[in-house]
Amino acid sequence: MNRLLLTALLLITSSFVGAHNVVGGVYTIGDTIEGEAGFSNGDMAPAGIKVIVTDMQGASLGQTETDAEGVFRFKPSRYVTHHFTLDLGAGHTLALTLAAEELPAALAPTQAPAATAVTTAAAKSATALNSQIEAAVARQVKPLRRELRELKEAAGLRDIVGGIGYILGLCGIAALLRERKMRKETA
Amino acid sequence: MHIVDGALSNEILAIGAVVGALGVAKGLRDMDYEQMPVTALLASVFFVASYIHLPVGVSSIHLILNGLIGLALGWAAFPALLVALLLQAVFFGFGGFLVLGVNLINIAIPAVLVGLLLRHALAITTQKRQLAMLGALAGGGAVTLTAFMVAGTLALNGDAFLPAAKLAFLSSLPLVVIEAAVTAAAVALIGQVKPELFAVAARTSS
Repeated sequence: MNRLLLTALLLITSSFVGAHNVVGGVYTIGDTIEGEAGFSNGDMAPAGIKVIVTDMQGASLGQTETDAEGVFRFKPSRYVTHHFTLDLGAGHTLALTLAAEELPAALAPTQAPAATAVTTAAAKSATALNSQIEAAVARQVKPLRRELRELKEAAGLRDIVGGIGYILGLCGIAALLRERKMRKETA
Repeated sequence: MHIVDGALSNEILAIGAVVGALGVAKGLRDMDYEQMPVTALLASVFFVASYIHLPVGVSSIHLILNGLIGLALGWAAFPALLVALLLQAVFFGFGGFLVLGVNLINIAIPAVLVGLLLRHALAITTQKRQLAMLGALAGGGAVTLTAFMVAGTLALNGDAFLPAAKLAFLSSLPLVVIEAAVTAAAVALIGQVKPELFAVAARTSS
């Protein structure tokens, strides 16, 4: 009876399988940085979480907030590596980094001399097209990124069996050591 | 119940590591050879049980079973939980390496306390109802203690204690109920089928 109860409880609870780590990502879309934060069970961060943006040295670059879907946007103005820090409370913090190379190309410092010479209409429409393509690709890739992240977080049967194996192995090592000690004592 | 890396200040991490190491040392010294298979078994149980998560609010809870572990292992709960927590950090990404000590003492100290307080009562009864009640008390009590210790840790770290404790307590209320039920069922079963499991632990640390 008790065994049945235990099994039933385990069955009920196991349908809620999920992990509780904080996960997120940041990427460039057009001229803004978009990021998202959530929990590895698929829930997104609540709205209004403060996102603090700093550079490599920890100097503040500004701050932003998450919206209802756990997404935040930040318009970069300097060509430096951006660090994003979120505190979701109860010991859940998340730190994200976006390298300077991934920032919008328009911010890169090396462009200046050539660009001023040829600002033809053709070049302008080319950049417009570019940013459109960027936005479209970003939209398509977004769910893939999320799926990839969830996959990376997910622990499977292999991990469970592996962990139990380690514990049994440790137990075996302890038995071996004791065996050796006893043999020495009798010898 | 696992606190993740990067959330706590260095002082708290250091205290956790030192206290955790002391507990593990005491546990290893107390543990005798007969107890080892049970220790490994319960470490495995904890390792797997923590994988089963129940989402509650922004946090999430999972079975800890530290009441059962404390009853069966006493001080040996420390090394058992250390191994299990380490493996959880490696395989599941729960918690982390730096906060290992803090997570260890938050879970193991309630286990040891419950074990020391209740195991003698456990050793003298074989009645199913009494066993179940003791189990429920151990399971629920250990988890409640752990919840308050987690809240206390977060409070030391700068979160306001009352809201943090309230959140920890409220979100672990369903867990306390589930944990009490599971531990009660397990203790009643073990107490009838294999009472020597608790007896070994009681002998080694009395």
